Amino acid sequence: MSVWSTLSDSSFLEMLDSVLSKCDASHCCCGCCAALRPRYKRLVDNIFPVNPEDGLVRSNMDKLTFYSMSSPEKLDRIGEYLAQRVSRDIYRHRNPMVIIAMEAMDQLLLACHAQSLNLFVESFLKTVQKLLETTEPALQILASQSFVKFANIEEDTPSYHRRYDFFVSKFASLCHSNHPEVDVLNSLRLAGLRGIQGVVRKTVSDDLVENIWEPVHMDKIVPSLLYNMQHARPRRISNDDNSPNGLPEEQVDSENGARNIDPSALAENCLRELVGRASFGNIRSVIKPVFKHLDLHELWVPNDFAIYTFRVIMYSIQVQYSYAVVENLMMHLDTSSRSRAKVRTSMANVLAKIIAIAAGESVGPSVLEIVNSLLKHLKQSIMSPIPVDDKEAVTDEKHFQESLISALAEFAYHLPDYQKIEIMMFIIGGTPGTGKSDPENVPAETLLQHMLLKCLLKVSHKYKSTNFSTSLPLTFLDPLLRTSLVQDAYVRVLVQEILHCLLDRHDNRSKLKKPSVEICDLNLAIDKCSRADSLFYKNHGSRILVNLSESLDLNNVTRENIEAIYCTAALICVELATDEMLVDILRWALAVQDVALTNTMLHPKNRLSLHVVAISIVTLASHTMNVTTLVEYSSKVVSARNGSAPHLLNFNESSAESIQQDAISPECLLDFNAIADCMKEAGRDIMGMIPLQGPFNANQRYSWADSSVNQPSSFTDLSNINLDGSESNTSSPGLARRYAEEEVTFEALKKVLAEPVESRREAEYEKRQVICEKFRNTPFQQLVASSQSKGDVLNDTLNQILTRISVMPCGQPELNAVQHNNQSLPHYGNNFPDLFVY
Amino acid sequence: MEDYKYLFKVVLIGNAGVGKTCLVRRFTQGIFPPGQGATIGVDFMIKTVEIDGLKIKLQIWDTAGQERFRSITQSYYRSAHALILVYDVSAQPSFDCLPVWLREVEEYASPKVLRVLVGNKVDRDDREIPPAVGEGFSRMNNMYFIETSAKDCSNVDKLFQEIARELIQDANSNDGPVGQQDTTHLDGAAEKSWSESNCCKS
Repeated sequence: MSVWSTLSDSSFLEMLDSVLSKCDASHCCCGCCAALRPRYKRLVDNIFPVNPEDGLVRSNMDKLTFYSMSSPEKLDRIGEYLAQRVSRDIYRHRNPMVIIAMEAMDQLLLACHAQSLNLFVESFLKTVQKLLETTEPALQILASQSFVKFANIEEDTPSYHRRYDFFVSKFASLCHSNHPEVDVLNSLRLAGLRGIQGVVRKTVSDDLVENIWEPVHMDKIVPSLLYNMQHARPRRISNDDNSPNGLPEEQVDSENGARNIDPSALAENCLRELVGRASFGNIRSVIKPVFKHLDLHELWVPNDFAIYTFRVIMYSIQVQYSYAVVENLMMHLDTSSRSRAKVRTSMANVLAKIIAIAAGESVGPSVLEIVNSLLKHLKQSIMSPIPVDDKEAVTDEKHFQESLISALAEFAYHLPDYQKIEIMMFIIGGTPGTGKSDPENVPAETLLQHMLLKCLLKVSHKYKSTNFSTSLPLTFLDPLLRTSLVQDAYVRVLVQEILHCLLDRHDNRSKLKKPSVEICDLNLAIDKCSRADSLFYKNHGSRILVNLSESLDLNNVTRENIEAIYCTAALICVELATDEMLVDILRWALAVQDVALTNTMLHPKNRLSLHVVAISIVTLASHTMNVTTLVEYSSKVVSARNGSAPHLLNFNESSAESIQQDAISPECLLDFNAIADCMKEAGRDIMGMIPLQGPFNANQRYSWADSSVNQPSSFTDLSNINLDGSESNTSSPGLARRYAEEEVTFEALKKVLAEPVESRREAEYEKRQVICEKFRNTPFQQLVASSQSKGDVLNDTLNQILTRISVMPCGQPELNAVQHNNQSLPHYGNNFPDLFVY
Repeated sequence: MEDYKYLFKVVLIGNAGVGKTCLVRRFTQGIFPPGQGATIGVDFMIKTVEIDGLKIKLQIWDTAGQERFRSITQSYYRSAHALILVYDVSAQPSFDCLPVWLREVEEYASPKVLRVLVGNKVDRDDREIPPAVGEGFSRMNNMYFIETSAKDCSNVDKLFQEIARELIQDANSNDGPVGQQDTTHLDGAAEKSWSESNCCKS
């Protein structure tokens, strides 16, 4: 019993002891504590050292942390109390105490779990705000550090009532700090940037809190970032292609916050992060302040910074939205249409630099939208009235146009091929057509044609032609050929160059730039002609050739035109090496020679050039088609020319004027019969090879009509009369083109079938021969008189024809434009100007 | 020390060099900084004033007058309770620009914002704008008008006092003008009593 009692006594004492000690430790007995303070307050008080220099009392801080974790319901009151202490210390300028308190708050924030943080965060943010309201840099930096720590905590309970406008405003203001000491200034700006980064992180992830994408905030955030970026080391900005594409070279760790980080680097990082998080709807609100900033700080000219900024944006934006940036930039270009040309040029340059990045992601309508908008600017720029005497403005505007074109080319370059075709068709669709223009606008329209065709040329340069039927669909080929006959010689050269790009699949065009009979030296790359190619030739080849000879026959043909046309014909020779082509090209060559012989309106130099073109193309064709007899014949002609007329072989002969056209001896010329014999000998099909001696146009037309599968070749009286009309044209400047559409009736067809082809041809030939003779031998005055007397008859006839044409559907592929700009018979033009347009 | 009743945001605007920063520094810190450099972006100051025994906290945003910072400064107009439009009485151009500034205010600020026109630098001898002209302009545009000098401290305190008074009246009359809800909830005194009443439960 006594043992028991002693035992129980001792255990009781122990128990009492432990209770007392516990009691003592927790200060729960009112009698034991000096001040009547709640426990949490005492715990908070204890973390502060007596001497501020000693820093936070670690052991007591651990106790406070443990307490707040074990009883989270007290956390909000701890927060309140701490906040109260901080504001008092700020008021009393006891900065070390403030720092200690903030450290404690940070630790509590990190240690405690999300659910219980809600109210604590309120006091925490209030404290941070208070720190930011002071004028002392140290406290402001401290505040932003604490804020960043808070921003990195993921809360899982939404806080609807929390507002961040003050923080955004204040951090943005810090980013513009103007502190006299550079070190302080830098750290203040860094603090501001980190703060902004923190706000963004905190808000974007949570839809329920404040919408950071509101213009109110973005208008503060974006300019602050840009302001800091623009003071970057020049290297960063001018570093053209390397730095801004991937991640920046220095990864900034905002947590550790190394002091020596450059604000511009951090600002760039922030911008990347911000743009990277932007969803489609928010892009506008991010981009708009960028434009405003660049405008106000005049950072477009020079545009290094603008390019740098947009690179950063393009590489960090979610790829599927990248074209939205391009669209916005274009819109900004719209709105700044009245600013200086230099500014617009810079904008267009920026566009050119970044458009490639967006091209990969653009699909469907957005592509054409961008192209359309670029073309619209181009048109606007061309049509805008600039005083011609202001040389600088004119050149500036030119630069602007060129940078637009290069932007378009850059864009097209990065698109898949099928979209390039689409773009090309779109551009040609926007090109002003032939003859549609009203007279006042002619210079502007010609300029527009230049520009648009230059665009087209740029795009086609980037295009890799594989299949002609896709690269030259009818809807594209048609307007292109039509454009190849416009008045402006340079435009025609451009069209031919576009054709070169599209026809050339083996990089031969540089070798075929100038006519030459030395085919073997050219090292041409020749592939076998595929089925698809020959089909393409069947459908369109002859039309292209007709077109080429027509544009050779225009009265303002230049050397460049002839060269370009030769190149096109030569490319057709190389790329579309079919039997059919051979026949056509030989005929074409003969026709060219014919023009050279008969068209007296041409410059003598050009007439000589045409001879060179003819022999060169025959030589080329005979080589590519490997017709030995023809090769022999052409070399015979070449050697004959070498002997007696070397000027007919060399394109660059300068003494052309002195040489008389009539002096060409027959053996130096290509002879139809000889060629036909060669073909026969080689066992080639010479169907469709008809003598070509008469005036070029008429023959040409006849023969095309004859060989074309789709066109019946019965010539009615009507068309014969018309042929007469065009005969008279050949000796005069200008051109006569006419569509040989016939009335396709059963009778007509039957007649064609029944009649022996040869005999009919013979008759036609004779008829033409007579006319030809007449025109060659009668004096010019007489010819003019006779053609004028015919005018009325012709007028009626044309009237008839045209009424028929107007009935025909316009989209019919074989329908050629009928155009007369005959100077000797002006009433043609006067009577039917509109009807010729198509 | 934190038991303020109201918090108001005041934004100063006006041409570069009219003395906006000096006005703010004089009011908040009581100093006149000679050779004050141009403000960059936006500066921020805070000052608590007492009106009829009520503590009023004024958040003062001092904007840069330079054109190039217009993008950032405009974004501060929107949340302002009062806009102080400052011009220099000794510089006609700064007065001539006032209509431009007013247009900006119309565009970016809240329609209910309190607008005050301030002619600064009255201590200067080379005055170009007589007080009557400034007053006429302010009356035409429905603004309050006062002439101040940051240098000799005339009317500076009065300016902000009057603004605070006016804003309190606005706040009381229509029970919450712009942003009133989020400015009044920080009532320090109420918080304190609330936390003490709960202490026994701990």
